[in-house]
Amino acid sequence: MQATIAKLAERPNLWPWLLLTPLAIYLAVFFLVPLANVVFMSFTEPRLTLANYERVLTGALYQRVFVNTFATAALVTAVCLLVGYPLAFLMTRSSPRTAMLILTLVTMSFWTSFLVRTYAWMVLLGDSGPIIGFLKAIGIEQPPHLLFTRFSSTLAMVHILAPYMIMNIYSVMRKIDPVLIRSAQSLGARGAALFRHVYLPLTAPGIANGSVLVFVICLGFYVTPVLLGSPREQMIAGLIGTEIEEFLAFGRGSAMAIILLLITLVILTIYHRRFGLDKLWG
Amino acid sequence: MTSYLRLTDVSKIYGTVTALSKIDLTAEKGEFVTFLGPSGSGKTTTLMIVAGFEKATTGDVMIDGRSISAMAPHERNIGIVFQNYGLFPHKTARENVYFPLQMRGQAKAQGLRKAAEMLDLVGLKDLGDRYPKEMSGGQQQRVALARALVFEPSLLLLDEPLGALDKNLREQMQIEIKRIQRALGVTTVFVTHDQSEAMSMSDRIVVFDKGRIEQAATPLDIYHRPQTKFVAGFVGESNLVEATVTDAAAGKADAAELGQCDYKPDAALKNGQAVTLLIRPEHIKLSRQPLEGRKNVRIKVDTIVNYGDNALLMGHTEKRTLRCRVLGADIVIIKEGDECHLSWLPDAVVPIAG
Amino acid sequence: MNRLLITLGIIAVVFVVAPLVIVVPMSFSNARSLQFPPPGYWFGYYHAYFTDMRWLRPTWNSIIIAAGTTVLTMILVVPATFALVRHRFAGKSFADVMLLMPLAVPHIVMAVGYYSYLGMFGLVQTHLGVILAHTCLSVPIAFLVLSANLKGFDRTLERAAQSLGASPVRTFIHVTLPILKPGLIISALFAFIQSFDETVVAIFISGRNAETLPRKMFDSIRQEADPVIAVVSTLLFALVLAGIVLPPLLKSLRSRVTPAPAAQALSTAENQS
Repeated sequence: MQATIAKLAERPNLWPWLLLTPLAIYLAVFFLVPLANVVFMSFTEPRLTLANYERVLTGALYQRVFVNTFATAALVTAVCLLVGYPLAFLMTRSSPRTAMLILTLVTMSFWTSFLVRTYAWMVLLGDSGPIIGFLKAIGIEQPPHLLFTRFSSTLAMVHILAPYMIMNIYSVMRKIDPVLIRSAQSLGARGAALFRHVYLPLTAPGIANGSVLVFVICLGFYVTPVLLGSPREQMIAGLIGTEIEEFLAFGRGSAMAIILLLITLVILTIYHRRFGLDKLWG
Repeated sequence: MTSYLRLTDVSKIYGTVTALSKIDLTAEKGEFVTFLGPSGSGKTTTLMIVAGFEKATTGDVMIDGRSISAMAPHERNIGIVFQNYGLFPHKTARENVYFPLQMRGQAKAQGLRKAAEMLDLVGLKDLGDRYPKEMSGGQQQRVALARALVFEPSLLLLDEPLGALDKNLREQMQIEIKRIQRALGVTTVFVTHDQSEAMSMSDRIVVFDKGRIEQAATPLDIYHRPQTKFVAGFVGESNLVEATVTDAAAGKADAAELGQCDYKPDAALKNGQAVTLLIRPEHIKLSRQPLEGRKNVRIKVDTIVNYGDNALLMGHTEKRTLRCRVLGADIVIIKEGDECHLSWLPDAVVPIAG
Repeated sequence: MNRLLITLGIIAVVFVVAPLVIVVPMSFSNARSLQFPPPGYWFGYYHAYFTDMRWLRPTWNSIIIAAGTTVLTMILVVPATFALVRHRFAGKSFADVMLLMPLAVPHIVMAVGYYSYLGMFGLVQTHLGVILAHTCLSVPIAFLVLSANLKGFDRTLERAAQSLGASPVRTFIHVTLPILKPGLIISALFAFIQSFDETVVAIFISGRNAETLPRKMFDSIRQEADPVIAVVSTLLFALVLAGIVLPPLLKSLRSRVTPAPAAQALSTAENQS
C-alpha cells in the first residue's frame, strides 16, 4: 500500500504538457516560424547579404523615417498624457455618475474601430470639413491644408490612443487611498507640494503604463499614418508596407520589420524589468 | 475491536519540508474529535489527507476497517464543510444540498425533498430557493453543513468552519453543530486553532504542533494534565517554571526562579529529573500577607487588566514574572506598584517531564 | 484652479467624443465628397451598402473569419489556460511569456511574416489563411481574460463537489464549467472582436477572395471615393453603442471577474496599430 502511494506521488504529471501541446504546435507553426521567416528574408532577399540592414540603417531616407517615427511617437505620448492626466483626475474628483458617464464615453471611443475614427478625422480636417469651414467663416481666405499632414495623423493617433492613457491613469488614481492624501495634508503638504511629493509618485505607475503602451503602439502604427499622414513623412510601419507592396523589396521590408520588433522588445523588456509586464497587460 | 477511523504512520513531505511526521490517531464511531494547533501545525494537512485531496507520502487511512488511501475523493463518502463553505454560487441552497444526491443518481423529486428536509433540520426551512450570495454567513454555514450531511457520509470533516463568523454567531453555531452532530450520530473531525471552541465542542482533542501530535485526550485532560510543555502553553493561560525533581516520592522540586515547590506526586518522575511546572493563573490566590499551607511568593504588581467579572494581574518576583487571575471584587484594593503575595496549593502544580 | 480643470476636462471629453458622433450625419449625406455639414440628407448610401456585393461580401467574410478565429482560439486556449493556471511544471514561466509574445509584436511585422509564409502553403487570400493568422493575435487576449477568471476561481468549489461524490469529469461539467461560463463568453467575445477589427494583417494577406471589412474600409478611405464608408462607420459605431448602452448584460457577465482595463486596452490596442 505505502509503496503504491509513494509511486503515485512521484509520477511526473503529464497533464499540463498534454493540455499545452495543441497551442504549442500552433504557435510554433503560425507564430514563431513566420517570425523566423522575416529574419530569414532580411538576410537572404534577394540573396544572402547584409546589404538590407546596411541600407536601412545608413540610408538617409530610412534614417529620416526612423527619426520621424520616434519623434511622432514621443509627441503622441506626451499629448495623450496632457489630455489624459487632467481628465482622469477630474473623473476621480467628480460625482460617481459623472465619472461613470465620462468612463462610458471613453470606453465607447476605445471600442470603436480605429478605421471609423480615422475616417472621422478625415471628415473633420478635410478641405470641405467643419474646421476649414470655420476658418473661412472667420475671414481666413487661404486656410492651410490640414489633411495628409503630420498634424492630421498625429492628432488622429492622439485621439485613437488617448483612451488607453486615460484608462490606465484612471485605474491607478481610483485606487489611491484618500487617507494618504489626508495624512499628507495633515502633515502640512499643500497645493504643488502635495502634488509633487505625494500624488504624482502615487500615480506614476499609471503614467508609466499608459505611456509605454501608447508609445509602443505608436511605433508600429500602420493604418492611421498611411491614411492621414503626409506621404513624404512616413512612419516605419508605413514604409515597410510600401517596400513590400510597391517595390516587392522583401529584404529591406523584413530588415526594417526586425529592427522595429527589436526596438519594441527592448522597450518592453526594460519596462518588464522595472515594473513587470503582467501589469501592463492586466 | 478496531477504531472507526484510524490513521497509521501518516507522513507528508513536500520536497525537503516535512509537513506531517508519522501521525497515528484514531476516532471511535460517533465521536467528535477536534484537531487543535497553530497554523502550519499539520492539522489541516491531516484533514486533507483523510478527505483525499492530499496524498500521504507514507502511511494509511482506514475507515471501518477498510483502507481508503487509494480511493479518489469522490469515492470516499466523506462530508466536508470548508473554511469558506464552498457553496456553488450558481445553485440555490436546495440545489446545493441536492447535489451529492444527484451525483449518487437519486431521482430528482425525491432528492429535492430530502434536501428540503435536511435544510429544515439545520433551521433553514424557508430559504431553500435563495442563492448563497443572498444569505448571511451563518445561513451559508448551515447550508454547507446540510450539504455535507444529506448523503449520510461515513465521516464529517469540518475545516475551521466558524472562522469567518463574528463572536455571537460563532457560539450559536457551536451549539448548533453539536446538536446536529449528536442527532445524526456522525463521526466528526473538527479542525480549529481556537482552543475555547475545541474545549466546548469536543469529545476528544488532538493537539498538533510542527507536524506532530503533541497529545490526544479529553478536553479536561488536555487542560489539567497536559503532557508536553507545548500543550500546557498553547491551551489556556499558564505560568511555566523550569525545575528539577528533588524528592519524587513526596512531590518536591527545586525551581531556580521560585525556590522549592511542592507538586502532586507523579510516579513517572525520578529524582534529579528536569521538569516544567505548570501553574494555571486561576489557581493562584492574591493576598497582602502570606497564607498558611500554601506556597507563597512575594511580588510587585506591574499591570492589572480588568475584565469586569475578573481581572488579570501581572507581577514580578526578583527573578521572573507571574500572572494570576482573580475575581473582580478581589482586585479593588490592589493597585499597580503594590507589593503583595501570590500563593497556591501543591495540587495546583502540574509537573511536565522534559 | 478648479474652473481651469473643469474646462480642460470638457475640452478633453469633446475631443474624445466629437469625432465619433460626426460619422452619423455623414452617413445620411447626399454629397459625394467629404463635405461637412452635409448639403442635404437622404438614405441612398444605406441602400447602397445593403445591396452592394462589394460591401456585403467583405462583411460576410469578416463574420466568417472572426467566428472561425474564435472557435480555433478557444479550442487552443482553454486547455492551455487550465494547464498554466492550475499546474506547476518546469518551463511554465517560459510558456507564459510565449503565450503573450504575439501581443508584443507589431502587427506590421506579423503581416510581413505571413505575407510570404502563408503563400508557401497556398493560404494567402483564403479564409483559412486569415483565420490561422488572426488566431495568433487572438490567443493572448483570450488567454489573459480566461486566466484572470480561472485564477479567481475558488478551487474549494471543486473539492466540495468531489467530497460530495462528483467524479472529476462530473465536477468539471456541473461546477467548473457553469461557474466559468461568463469568463469563457467574454474571452470568446474578445477573440471575435480582435479578429473582426484586425486590419493590418488582413490588408496584406486577405486579398480579393477573403477580403475583410476593415480591409475594404481601408481601401475605400485610401481612394477617398466611396461615401458608403460613412454608412459602415455608423453601423459599426451603432454596434459599439449597443454594446455599451446595453451594459446590464455585459455587467452581469463581468461582475464576477474584472479583466483589468489595461488588458482590454491592449486587446484592441494592438489591432489598431
